Amino acid sequence: MIAALVKKDVKLYFRNRFIAVVTIMGLVFYAILYYMLPAQVDETLDIALFIENPQATQIDERFEEYFEFTSFDSEAAMLAALEEEGDYLAGIAISAGEAAAIDRGEKASIRAFYAPGIPTEVKNAYDDLLTITANGASPAFGGQFGRIDEEAVVLGPDMLETPIPIRDRFVPMMLLFLLAVEVMGVASLIMQEAESGTAQAVLTSPLRLSQFFTGKVIMGLAVAFVQLILLAAVIGKMSTSPLELMVTLLLGSFMIVGLSFLIASISRDYMSVLAWGMLVIIVFSIPAIAVLLPGLATAWAELIPSYFLVDAIHRILNFNASWGEIGSHLVVLFAAGLATMALGSALLRRRFQ
Amino acid sequence: MTSIAIAAENLTFRYGDLTAVDQINFEVAEGEILGFLGPNGAGKSTTVKILSGQLRPTEGRATVLGLDIARQTKQVQKQIGVAFETTNLYEQMSAVENLELFADLFGVKDFNARALLEKVGLGGREKERVATYSKGMKQRLMLARALVGNPRLLFLDEPTEGLDPASSQTIHAIIREAAANGATVFMTTHDMVEADKLSNRVAFINQGKIVALDRPAALKRQFGKRALRVEVEGENGETAVREVTLDETGAPEAIYDLFRSERIVTVHSEEATLEDIFMDITGRGLQG
Repeated sequence: MIAALVKKDVKLYFRNRFIAVVTIMGLVFYAILYYMLPAQVDETLDIALFIENPQATQIDERFEEYFEFTSFDSEAAMLAALEEEGDYLAGIAISAGEAAAIDRGEKASIRAFYAPGIPTEVKNAYDDLLTITANGASPAFGGQFGRIDEEAVVLGPDMLETPIPIRDRFVPMMLLFLLAVEVMGVASLIMQEAESGTAQAVLTSPLRLSQFFTGKVIMGLAVAFVQLILLAAVIGKMSTSPLELMVTLLLGSFMIVGLSFLIASISRDYMSVLAWGMLVIIVFSIPAIAVLLPGLATAWAELIPSYFLVDAIHRILNFNASWGEIGSHLVVLFAAGLATMALGSALLRRRFQ
Repeated sequence: MTSIAIAAENLTFRYGDLTAVDQINFEVAEGEILGFLGPNGAGKSTTVKILSGQLRPTEGRATVLGLDIARQTKQVQKQIGVAFETTNLYEQMSAVENLELFADLFGVKDFNARALLEKVGLGGREKERVATYSKGMKQRLMLARALVGNPRLLFLDEPTEGLDPASSQTIHAIIREAAANGATVFMTTHDMVEADKLSNRVAFINQGKIVALDRPAALKRQFGKRALRVEVEGENGETAVREVTLDETGAPEAIYDLFRSERIVTVHSEEATLEDIFMDITGRGLQG
């Protein structure tokens, strides 16, 4: 009986043109996007540099110890690169007199230029970097900075030597967005069964309500899980801790199916499913953005259940996290799925009976 | 001895303060077609929902095929077929897919969907999505779906409402065939002609109460007027109507005189329709 229901639901899922197109296009789009994003991390800070009469000074050689720079033949060319072409965020112009003063270890001033629209935080960081670099490059201050011993401690996984490419930071968000579409697909299926009376028809057969719900859970899990595994396989992520990843994706799918039940129970038509689904996508994407751009989201993002999904995926794929490191995440995912499913089922039960 | 397919005892259902079904009592014998007549909102569909296990009665009880419908709902539902008042088919699936799903739910082995669809006049369009079907085709498919599990008892809620005469005739033929094969049929309708043609007995329900229950002929005898309406032609070609009341003394002589002395054009019996009887009993029409 349940197999017949699942078969029917999968058919209906893919016969909803909007959901079918969004699902398939989503898979293709995310796979293409992944391969289009940079696979390497460029850690160099490239700064535009103009030194008047560079043959008379060795400043540029000393600068090389601190950052990569591109020398320009004229100040105008450097400013054009900064302002018009947008290739650099910062540039330094040093006149011949200032260069000579620096070479002699005397007090000198250099002019720093910034690209239009540079954020305050980035500008301040460049400010500090340029000040340190300029001071360090001057023999008058040679050795002063070296007296401070620095002990750097990275909290959590130390990725300083192996930075995460942007496309790999994107993976948790891609997987989450695939699931979010699933919320609308499964919820609209359940809502339509309630509103069109087909649920009433099947429940007047020997089929029990618990079997009806079980069919929906299996269908939702199957469609969501298969999509996730497909995408993970296409982007070559199934080789990294496959068991941990599969369990995480399965529990993430479970949470999403539970959410579908809840949305279906409070929706009366397709538009309300879409509206609730969009709200879920927006709220659930906040923790994913935090993974993509660390430091942007505050601690309250951890109150959103999707945090435990994207963070677990991020840890598994990018840090080779063990079961112990993701265990609590998996428990939360399961609990969130169970809670939403129980609440959604209870509300739907009242609606069907 | 004929066994009882449905027995309702003081069956009551309330939607909040509204009593939709009010202490009704009746029995339906196995193999019988019972027409359940009443206007919209009389309690017909609520009664079907209780008897098919979709609603639990607020008071009273009902046994269906010897089982308590409130307690042994799924055991009953294995043996019944229901055609609902409103269309509730999977519109994005074909007729065959709809029927095969229900065959799986009822555990029917070697189910032949095409043969059943042929029977209800949907042969040749079985692979089309139901969304493309006309209302009549959907009604016939609903009836076919109700027959999938070879039910001992069929609940048909307004099976021909809004259909053209041809579709109605097809559905009537299927209902008769099901009854001829031994199925009990509980059919709600507010079409008194349909009820009269198909039903062994009819029950009138009004404001949640059964106000009459008997064979159509018996109701007509009990409540109707026995009379002959004779149209006669005069010497100048004009027509006139004569009426002879059959239950009065001297009726045979009056008929004899009429036929002897007048030129008869037409003769009609003046029996009451079920709608006339319903109006007599309740003071309201079946369409109301």
